[in-house]
Amino acid sequence: MIKKVKIELKNIFLKLDKNHIFKNFSLDFSTEGISVVLGANGSGKTILTKIIKGILKVNKGKILINRKNAIGYAPQKVVFLRRNVFDNVAFPLRVKGDSEFHVKKKVNFLLKEFDVFDKRFLSARSLSAGNAQYISFIRAIIDDPEVLILDEPCSNLDEVYRKKVELYLKKNKKKKKIIMITHDFLQAKRLGDQILIIEKGEFKAKFTKNKFVKNEKSIINNFFS
Amino acid sequence: MEILYQSINLIFSFDQNLYEIIFLSLKVSLNALLFSTIIALPISAFVAVKNFYGKKVLKLFFNSLMALPPVFVGLILYILFSKSGPFGFFEILYTPQIMIIAQIIIILPIIISISIETLEIINKEYEDFFLMFNTTLKKKILTLLWDARFSLVTCILSGLGRALSEVGAIIIVGGNIIHYTRVMTTTIALETSRGNLSLAMSLGIILIVIALILNSIALIIKNFSIKNSYD
Repeated sequence: MIKKVKIELKNIFLKLDKNHIFKNFSLDFSTEGISVVLGANGSGKTILTKIIKGILKVNKGKILINRKNAIGYAPQKVVFLRRNVFDNVAFPLRVKGDSEFHVKKKVNFLLKEFDVFDKRFLSARSLSAGNAQYISFIRAIIDDPEVLILDEPCSNLDEVYRKKVELYLKKNKKKKKIIMITHDFLQAKRLGDQILIIEKGEFKAKFTKNKFVKNEKSIINNFFS
Repeated sequence: MEILYQSINLIFSFDQNLYEIIFLSLKVSLNALLFSTIIALPISAFVAVKNFYGKKVLKLFFNSLMALPPVFVGLILYILFSKSGPFGFFEILYTPQIMIIAQIIIILPIIISISIETLEIINKEYEDFFLMFNTTLKKKILTLLWDARFSLVTCILSGLGRALSEVGAIIIVGGNIIHYTRVMTTTIALETSRGNLSLAMSLGIILIVIALILNSIALIIKNFSIKNSYD
């Protein structure tokens, strides 16, 4: 990593529709590599990613991020423009004001790299769930962001696409800070340098990869059974 | 039946006076439509995208203006642009220019209100998307207008329909002057009162034909958009 990325949530409070999602929640992601966040459904993982990305504003607390404009984000619920795959992947570059020549070169390169070049003129909104998730991942990395937030990026992917995504993450984890939400323990073990567990809006535990692998059974018993 | 036969005969006789009236009608209404669209779309997109204090009141205001009586618009413009009025120096009363202005005032709220509804639906879909990519207001507006372009054509065509069928305002500000400000609807009103029903009827038929053409265009665009809008 060229410069240390700082992502820290300090004493945040968030209330949505009268429900307290986070009450005095703090978490520091400022370590290198891939931070995997595990937690049961409804524990607040997706909301956490939205807060870091800046899509949701908290009621109270501090969010300290020193790369606010360099965050790539692949949400759990994929949203596409009413346009084709190419235009959807190109959107972040066009918003930034990149030249069309550069946009075309970069988008075509990545679509070829991820073996979906032939899908570039398909309507993005008519893609299957798996393809949509895959294209959403490509869109998140199109601008080569320093921080990558991935909310269950492989939940709908087949083996081929999943391996491609994981290979990219492994290759780039030294250059980027990656925060990934997953339900997949095996994937957490394969990719996570740091594994964080949250439960009902509370931070419960933090493990290094080795510690997590060693204590897997007790972790499952303590937090997921 | 005889009137209908005479009217059809008149249409196919390619009478110069008749076609002069038709062309002026189209010229006035299409100009009004062009200017209204240029003004309405950015306003609609802005209102759809931006949350601001008084947004609901503004939407209510545009919705209410949809029911603005054309005769009242004509009257106000007449007062403003008559020789003794504050804008009398423009000297455009009884010209096609003021007829265009009158039609703009009438159809602008229609295009704005319907477009806001269309654009708000798409904006709702795109809300998180725009936030994800730190999209600027200008880019949001351009994205919405482009992605809604097919639906917007139908909004715009509804404005054209209203402009072409309007009579109350343009008869006051245009004066229904032959070879100069006489259009289809004002001619129908005049010729009916004169008892010249065949001319009035032929213009009525032409208006219906134009309405049919407009609706066909709207339908074709709708079908085209289903195939090509990536929706």
